[in-house]
Amino acid sequence: MLRPIRTLAAASAALLLATACNSASTGGTSEKPGAPGASVRGVTADAIKVGGIVSMTTASGYSKKDTDLGAKARYDRANAEGGVNGRRIDYLGAEDDGQDPARNLAAARKLVQQDKVFAVSPMSSVTFAGADFLDGQKVPTVGWGTLPSFCGPKHIYGFNGCLVPTPGGTLNQTWPEGLATVLGGARGKSVALIAGDSDAGKFGIRTFTQGFKAAGFTLAYAKASVPATSMPSDWSAYTKEILRSGPGGSAPDAVVSVMQTPYNIGLFTALKRSGYKGVISDPTDYDPGLLAKDATRQALDGVHVLLQFQPFEAYSPAMTQFKADIKKAAGGKDVPLNMHMMTGYMSADLFLSIAAKAGKELTVESFQKAASGFSDTGTLVGDRAEPKGQKESFGCGALVRLKNGRYEVAVPFKCYPAIPFG
Amino acid sequence: MGDLLGFVLSGLVSGALYALLATGLVLSYSASGLFNFAHGATAYLCALAFYELHSGFGWPAVPTALLLVCVVAPALGWGLDRLMFRKLARVGETAQIVATIGLLVALPAAGLWVVELLERAGAPVQPAENQFGLPGVGPSPAVSWQPLDGVGIDSDQLITWVATALVAAGLWVLMRHTRLGLRLRAAVDNRSLTELRGISADRLSSIAWMLSSGLAGLAGVLATPLLGLSAHDYTLFLFVSATAAVLGRFLSVPLAFAGGLGLGVLQNLVAGYASFAEDITGFRTAVPFLILFGGLVVLARRRRAAGTAAADPPPVDYLAGKGRGRRWGAWVVAGALLATAFYTVTTPFWSGILAQGLAIGLVFMSFTVVTGLGAMVSLAQATFVTGAALVAGLLMSRGWPFVAAAAVGTAAAALLGAVVALPALRLGGRSLALATLALAFLADQVLFQVGWLRNGDTGWEIPRPVLGPLDLGDDRALGVALVLLSGAVVWLLTLLRGSRWGRAVLAVRSAPEAAAASGVSVVRTKLLVFTVSAGLAGFGGVLYASYNTRITATDFTAMTGLVWLAVVVAAGVRRPQFAVVAGLAFAVVPHLLATYVTESAHLPVILFGLAGLALANDPDGYCAALPSRWAARAAAVRGRGDAPPAAVEVPAAVAVAVAVAVPVPEQAPAPESASDSSRAPALDPALDSSRDPVPAGTTAIRRGPREPVPRPGSEPPALALRGVRAGYGGAAVVHGVDLEVRGGEVLVLLGPNGAGKSTLCRVAAGLLRPSAGHVRVGGLDATRDDTVRRARRGVRLAPEGRGIFAGLSIEENLALQLPAPEDRDAVYARFPALASRRSVAAGSLSGGEQQILALAPLLQRPPTVLVADEPSLGLAPRVVDEVFRLLTELRASGTALLLVEEKAAEVLGVADTVAYLSQGGIAWSGPRSEVDTDRLAEAYLGTGVRR
Repeated sequence: MLRPIRTLAAASAALLLATACNSASTGGTSEKPGAPGASVRGVTADAIKVGGIVSMTTASGYSKKDTDLGAKARYDRANAEGGVNGRRIDYLGAEDDGQDPARNLAAARKLVQQDKVFAVSPMSSVTFAGADFLDGQKVPTVGWGTLPSFCGPKHIYGFNGCLVPTPGGTLNQTWPEGLATVLGGARGKSVALIAGDSDAGKFGIRTFTQGFKAAGFTLAYAKASVPATSMPSDWSAYTKEILRSGPGGSAPDAVVSVMQTPYNIGLFTALKRSGYKGVISDPTDYDPGLLAKDATRQALDGVHVLLQFQPFEAYSPAMTQFKADIKKAAGGKDVPLNMHMMTGYMSADLFLSIAAKAGKELTVESFQKAASGFSDTGTLVGDRAEPKGQKESFGCGALVRLKNGRYEVAVPFKCYPAIPFG
Repeated sequence: MGDLLGFVLSGLVSGALYALLATGLVLSYSASGLFNFAHGATAYLCALAFYELHSGFGWPAVPTALLLVCVVAPALGWGLDRLMFRKLARVGETAQIVATIGLLVALPAAGLWVVELLERAGAPVQPAENQFGLPGVGPSPAVSWQPLDGVGIDSDQLITWVATALVAAGLWVLMRHTRLGLRLRAAVDNRSLTELRGISADRLSSIAWMLSSGLAGLAGVLATPLLGLSAHDYTLFLFVSATAAVLGRFLSVPLAFAGGLGLGVLQNLVAGYASFAEDITGFRTAVPFLILFGGLVVLARRRRAAGTAAADPPPVDYLAGKGRGRRWGAWVVAGALLATAFYTVTTPFWSGILAQGLAIGLVFMSFTVVTGLGAMVSLAQATFVTGAALVAGLLMSRGWPFVAAAAVGTAAAALLGAVVALPALRLGGRSLALATLALAFLADQVLFQVGWLRNGDTGWEIPRPVLGPLDLGDDRALGVALVLLSGAVVWLLTLLRGSRWGRAVLAVRSAPEAAAASGVSVVRTKLLVFTVSAGLAGFGGVLYASYNTRITATDFTAMTGLVWLAVVVAAGVRRPQFAVVAGLAFAVVPHLLATYVTESAHLPVILFGLAGLALANDPDGYCAALPSRWAARAAAVRGRGDAPPAAVEVPAAVAVAVAVAVPVPEQAPAPESASDSSRAPALDPALDSSRDPVPAGTTAIRRGPREPVPRPGSEPPALALRGVRAGYGGAAVVHGVDLEVRGGEVLVLLGPNGAGKSTLCRVAAGLLRPSAGHVRVGGLDATRDDTVRRARRGVRLAPEGRGIFAGLSIEENLALQLPAPEDRDAVYARFPALASRRSVAAGSLSGGEQQILALAPLLQRPPTVLVADEPSLGLAPRVVDEVFRLLTELRASGTALLLVEEKAAEVLGVADTVAYLSQGGIAWSGPRSEVDTDRLAEAYLGTGVRR
């Protein structure tokens, strides 16, 4: 009995010793990207290798796969225009993380360690388990900043800023100010806020309560009360409470939902059936694909949707260019536009803009240096500035309204000053 | 009041869907005894198909729905039953649970893959992602009405109600008023008795699966407007409806149906009125799972073997008796090679993947404890991982060192494990699995929503530990450390298994009562199993999180735990080293597939799900199956050289033994039986009146290896056994028995307890296939018959105890065998006691009445052969007389009777021939006239057999 233990112990000691020596000699990481004199990972004389991570297949039926098409459209144009400082963008396409944290990290590792990319852009998923790894390996990463990992880590950028308010940071006032415009002022107007019954829902309620109050609204109802994983088949319990929550038991002037599309469809349908005539708003349902179905078109009719980029209905040179690029990347077909395309497109755009500023000597250091102090204006996501964007949202947005089966701009795209969040 | 009515009415919508799913669950469970985790996936598949056919191909809604519900879904159920469920019904519960979990992920992936392929082929399919507000069968958007103030309904709801009501009515008619329904219910009541009656339970099981799938399909089509195309939501919906199936105890369709409706209403009422719980984040989300958990704990029937699935017998250990080197050598070498590989061959990417696999392997080893050793299926292991990692991360953020934080995290997980173990004390099998699943969801939705524990979506950073000069921040160093750690844990778990405590666990696993009687505390043992397993999962979880360098509350969800279990069980759950293999495979295989096999994201998932099919053949997993197959093949190759095959050797030995042992000289059959039939009335004048007017045929009982010579011109015996050897699991019970009985004769088989009488009955009825020898029915070889074929040849077994369906009424029991009402009327005329209570459940009759109920239809339609196993057992003497009179009557109508009894006194009165069975062989046989008390005593005391 004792002999194997001794053998095992001796073997362990020997192996550990070897490990210790080896890891001490390599100093923890096997590579030092961008070290002076060394070649830069993913950058050659005429190309920059870039990868992406996107949730494409999921068990929930929610997919962001058009993000990939958006990114491709933007990189294609960059290459057609001669690349960045003479280097072509070698976009590898997006890895599918299936909304699975383990796969997200594995995708990040694969892109860096196997494909040896210089940067990851776009990264759009509901999880970002690869964030620490990418930041640790000094991989510039641009994506949709809906997760806390886009707020803080040095090498990670949100295409329209960091969208998760942190205490001590600031709060984006696009939505309250936009709704105030719709309602003709916030004074004396009451708002009902509803979210899913989860920690994230509670956090949403907390931030928007502060935001709407700061804009001058009174909060008639603010609850994270909807079951977060199994959607109610019946919304009457919620609509009844909301419709009695306004001053004197009346209905509030606006109902604001911080939930996903299927929930919104149920809630809005129930609200309308109960005869609600006020303003309904949510931040997720700007998807022209929704107009293809009668049921969603009816449920969302009249709803004001918040978006944090220029609406597709707006006319600007940048938007025209966007549409042309997407059409070209889709093989000349008129594909219905959606916000995931915008995410991919503008993630690629932010990366290209910073890389262009970094100049001919592209290294991680020069990229980071170019980013700190980067700013431009008038893009599809408004006025961009880094490193401000690593702490807060760019603060720009618009409200569109679905009317007669078409989205129309209700409040034009504009940037609003942020307020302190605490 | 309007509120309440509205809540109830609209609650009935989800209630109707729950009811449909729960009914399907109950049907499939009663058909093959397995809880189908993939039931929701079937519903999803139909929803997907409906959407693609209706919206994509433009087929009309109602015919498409009918096609899916009535044809496609049943066909899927039939196929799965044939391929998988039928085999699974015969393996252990863990393998069953896991195989259907595999399907749960494979079916949706298969559906999406088909859509992908069709799209590539240019078919007009629609994308299946991001689809909301899908049209159902009715108008889209739904038309809504407001019949009362505050009460609104829409067309989709109305369609759901009407369809569900129609299905309920249809099911009721099918089950209560058709022959098929009667057979289905009979098979649920007593599957083996159904087969003894010549009704194929396999075919009934196929039908039940078809019905079940059809119901899932209906639920899927109806739920399309509500749930959209989220496979995840359909599965959650299924878990909730499992509550209703529990309510029906997995047996009663009406109860499950009502339970489903009630569940929907209850859920709605809680949503409407549970304002008291607003401060608890996640409470409303968790309501369905609270109900599921509560329902399981309150309603689950305490079973004899609560908490265990002892039905899984361990596989033969081909290494038994081999040295430690033989057993462990290969593993040690593999470990050493892996450790060396980190610093020699693997690229940084593969080093990382291997380290990840080893870390997850540590978590997987926790399944070895709870499922492999304790035989309890826990679906909450992911909860322990998340709990431990969150606690450790919280402490490390407060400046605790890694080791201390990991220790506290492990302890926290162990504590959680003890809490989860509480239902294990009461529940067993699938109920326990569902309860742990419910707790896992509760933890996800309530416990891990607690702000200070989860720290929002940021979670906690868990930096890799640095131990002195050793920096585990390097993947290679982490990998080597994990190899050593895995080795240590494997070694500890192996010691644990062999320890006193390990034996106690094994004892509790296979026989809790016996374990308790031997002074092993069942409660403490089960608590400990869960605690140790949870602690191990937690410890592995902290390391896994440190591989990721961060833990967030959503990294490992309850659904992750389901997939983990499937991965581990597919590899093998009995040895900890298999868990390490499972972990490595889990990490490595997806990348290998993606790199070398396919770009499709769906195909690997489908392949993973199909591992369930393999499990139906090798329930102990591939790690255990592959080497034992090699070993068996090697043994076969070796065996061909130096030893004669067993099958040849044994009968020869028996033949010799029997030939030597037989004390009575060979008898010439004809004169014996003639004298027997002439002497019988004299011995038993009471039976004379009912005595057979038809000349009795001949009964011969032969011993020894020699085939009897058939008499020319005579009919073949109705039933003949020749040199039959049979037993259970390699242990022979009957050694070379010859028996034969002709039409209109009674052969009485006497013998003490354990002589092998019931085994012979089982052989005669086709329940047990003899390992050697032949069974002939009416002169035709019937050795290879299954029970149903044998029954259809006219051989009926009245099994020990009562051969009735206790859950069916008297009328239904009779109708199963006597479809013609005239026949039943004749039975009632003969037995007025039965006539007066035809709608009473047969189980509530007295023992004598039950026996008469079992025999009555046989009198009406006499079988060729009746094998009656102790028909007088536990009956009052007066009833015994009645039973024997009925049996004599059967003989008169030409049936060949093989009566097996332990007590000789009464049965000798009806015997034509008597045989004594002792220690698995015929000790004496002959005409009844030659039976004397000495011989009887000899047979019973075993002195008549000289072996």
